[in-house]
Amino acid sequence: MPVEVIFPKVDMDMERGRIATWHVKPGERVSKSDPLFDIETDKAAMEVESPAEGFLHHVLAKEGSEVAIGVAVAWIYAEGEDVGDVPEGRPTPADAPPGREPDRDETQWQRPAQATSPPHAGNRRATPVARALAAQRGIDLKNIGGSGPRGRVQAKDVIANLQAPEPPLDTRSLPGWRPERGDLAVVRSGSGAHAPILMFHGLAADGPSLEALDPLLPQDREVLKMELPSHGRSPRRRVAGFADLARQVRVRFDDLALDNVHIVGHSLGGALALALADTRPRQVRSVTLISPAGLGPEFGGQILRGIIRAGSAASLGPWLRQLTSDPATITEDYVRAAMAARGDAAMRAAQADMACTLFPDDTQGFDVSGTLNRLDCPARIIWGRDDKVVPWRHALRAPGKVALHLLEGVGHLPHVERLEEVASILSDNVCRSSRSRAAN
Amino acid sequence: MNAESSVRGEVHELSYAESIRDAMDIALGSDERVVLMGEDIGVYGGAFQVTGSLVHKYGEDRVMDTPISELGGAGVAVGAALTGLRPIFEFQFSDFSTLAMEQIVNQAAKLRYMLGGAVSVPLVMRLPSGSGTGAAAQHSQSLEAWYGHVPGLKVAQPSTPRDAKGLLLAALEDPDPVLIFEHKLLYKMKGPVPSGYYTTPIGKAAVRREGTDLTIAANSIMALKAEEAAKTLADEGIDAEVIDLRTVRPIDRETVLASVRKTGRLLCVYEGVKTLGVGAEVSAMVAESDAFDFLDGPIVRLGGAECPIPYNPKLEEAVVPQVPAIIRAARDLANGAI
Repeated sequence: MPVEVIFPKVDMDMERGRIATWHVKPGERVSKSDPLFDIETDKAAMEVESPAEGFLHHVLAKEGSEVAIGVAVAWIYAEGEDVGDVPEGRPTPADAPPGREPDRDETQWQRPAQATSPPHAGNRRATPVARALAAQRGIDLKNIGGSGPRGRVQAKDVIANLQAPEPPLDTRSLPGWRPERGDLAVVRSGSGAHAPILMFHGLAADGPSLEALDPLLPQDREVLKMELPSHGRSPRRRVAGFADLARQVRVRFDDLALDNVHIVGHSLGGALALALADTRPRQVRSVTLISPAGLGPEFGGQILRGIIRAGSAASLGPWLRQLTSDPATITEDYVRAAMAARGDAAMRAAQADMACTLFPDDTQGFDVSGTLNRLDCPARIIWGRDDKVVPWRHALRAPGKVALHLLEGVGHLPHVERLEEVASILSDNVCRSSRSRAAN
Repeated sequence: MNAESSVRGEVHELSYAESIRDAMDIALGSDERVVLMGEDIGVYGGAFQVTGSLVHKYGEDRVMDTPISELGGAGVAVGAALTGLRPIFEFQFSDFSTLAMEQIVNQAAKLRYMLGGAVSVPLVMRLPSGSGTGAAAQHSQSLEAWYGHVPGLKVAQPSTPRDAKGLLLAALEDPDPVLIFEHKLLYKMKGPVPSGYYTTPIGKAAVRREGTDLTIAANSIMALKAEEAAKTLADEGIDAEVIDLRTVRPIDRETVLASVRKTGRLLCVYEGVKTLGVGAEVSAMVAESDAFDFLDGPIVRLGGAECPIPYNPKLEEAVVPQVPAIIRAARDLANGAI
C-alpha cells in the first residue's frame, strides 16, 4: 500500500497553507525523513519530511497552490509497487473547496531541477542521462566527481559511483599523500597581442624549470606554463592513466579559453602537448616537442625513479647528472635549486604514484605517435642524441612533415644543455606558424 | 533495408546519374503522363548529362527543353501538373531555383490548400546542388533547408544510386510537389541499383551503420563522409551509428530519436550553412523529445561555414565538413571531451 503524504497542521489556528516548493519531483526516490516540500503560512514556513521511503507519485498539489490541512497531497510507493490510479479514501486537494488560485504561472512546475533549491542536483553540471540515473538511484550529484569538461558529471561517473562503496578518492589513497582539489597551476609571464605560448614540463619537473627560455622567446606575446598534477604549485591529484592526465590538462586548457596558442612540451609534457593538439586542433597553431615521451616503449625509468625518490641534494645530484650528456652541466647550485623545489615529501609520493601508473615496469604505457600524423599545424621535434631517458630514435616514427632537430652532445635536457639553440628553434616555429595560418 | 517496395529484378552497378536516368526512363515508358522539362535537357542531355539521350527515345514532346527562364519553366511545370501531367522539372543548378521561388513556394506548395483540396500539384523537381565542383558561390549552395521550411513541399536528398532511383519513382507516385536535391559530386559515384520499378519511401531515414557510442545524423553526401569517418573511429574503438536522413521534409524523427536513446550522443553533419540548417532542426528535435533524457553530452553540429562557397579549391574544401573534422568531433564527443 502506498503511504499518504498528508498536508500537516503546523500552526495552531491554521486551516490552510500553501506549498511553496517541492523538493522531490514525481517519480523520484525519497528516503524517510528527506525534505519533501516547504509549507508557507501567513506566519511561518517549514519543511515537511517524507513519511516513508520509496517513490513519489500522484502529486496533486502544485507549487504555489493553497491546500486544506489533512488532505493527501501525494503518495509514496515502495520499490516495485504498482502505481495505479490515485488511491481513494482520503480527501485530496480536489475534494476540498478550492482556495485561492495560485498567482504563479503553472509553468513554474516546469522549472529545471537546478533552479530549485538544494537536495538533488544543485547547480552541478551534469548531463541529462547522468541526472536521470542519479535520481533513479537516489544519489546526490554533489557527491560524484565529474569527469567531463568543467567537471560535468556524465553517465559513467554515476555508474562508477554505484560500484564504488565510498568516494573513489578516499578508497584509492595510497600511503604518503592524499589527493587535493583545485585547478592545475598556470604560471604566466610576458604579454603582447600575439598568440601565446603554452608550455608543459616533464615528469618530476615544474613550470620554473622552463623559465630560462622566457627571455629568449619572442617578446610580443604571453608565455604560460601549466604545471602537471602533483607538480609545482598544482594540487596533488590521482591520475588514472595517460588519458586521464591528458583530460585533466585539457579541462584546464579549456578554462584558459585560448583561441590560438603555440604549444611546447618537454618529455611527458611533449606527449601531453601532442594529445592536446589532437583534441583541440582549432586552437593550436604550432607544436614544439622537446625530447617527447609517448612515441615508443623504451624509458629510462631508473633515472626518473631516482630523481623522484631523492630526499636530499646528495641523492638527487647523481640522478640529475644522468639527464645531461655532459654531467658538468648540472652544477651544485642547479641540484640545490632542484631539491628546494622538491622538498615536499607528499608531492614526491604523488609523483611516484603517477610514474607507476604512466610508466609501468619502466615502459611507456601510452603511445601518442598516431597523433603526429593527424597534426595539421607545423610541428618540430628537438632531441639530444645522448638522451638516456627517452631514446631519440623514437623521433623516427614522426611523418616527414615534422621537422627533427637532432643535437649532438646533448642528453634529455636540450633546453638546459643548449638553451639558446632550443629557444631559437622554438621561436622560429612560433613566428613562421603565426604567418602561415593567418586565416585560421 | 527500409521498406523499399520493389518488383525486384537483377542488381546492376550504375552511377548515381545513370540510376536517375533509369528511373526517368522507366517512368516515361510506363506512364504517358510523365514528361521531362528543363533547360538543355534535350539534345544537350542536361547540364550534368543526367537526361542523356532520353529525348531520342521519347521525342521532344516528352523531353522538353525550356527557355532560359526558371520562373517561366517552373510555372509551365506547375500548370502541367495541375492539369493532369506528371512533370519532372530539372534545374541546371539548385541555386537557380531561387528564380522560381514564386512558383515553388507560393503556387506549387499552396494550391492544394488554397483550393480546399480540389486540386493537387504532382510535380517533381530535380535540383543539382552542393559544393566541391569548383563552380563557385552561385552554383554550389545547399538550399534544402529553405524548401524544407515550406509546408506543402517534400524535400528528399538521396546519397546513393539506389536511393536516387527509388526516391525519384516514389516522388512520382506522390500527389504533391517533391523536390529532390541531387549532390553534384555524387553523379559519377557507382553503386548497386536494382533493375525495374521500385520505390524508396519518402520520409524514412536509413541507418547506414549501427553503433552504440554516438549517433551521426547526416544528409546527402555528408552521410557518406560520416560512414567513412565511422570506419576510422571503429579502429579507435568508437562505435558510431550513422543515419542518412534521406528526406528533410518530412524528417524521420523516430529513427533519429531511437538512435539517440541508444547512444546518448548526437553529432549532426550537414553541408548547408550551419546556422538555421538541417542540423539545427535535428538537434532541436532531440532536445525537445524524451530522447533528451538519454543525452550524455552536448549535441554537436558540424555545418557549412557562414560564408559563400569560395572558388579557390582549398577554401571550398575548408568551408564544408570533411572526414577529418567529423572524426575529431565524434572522437571528442564519444570521449566526453566536449
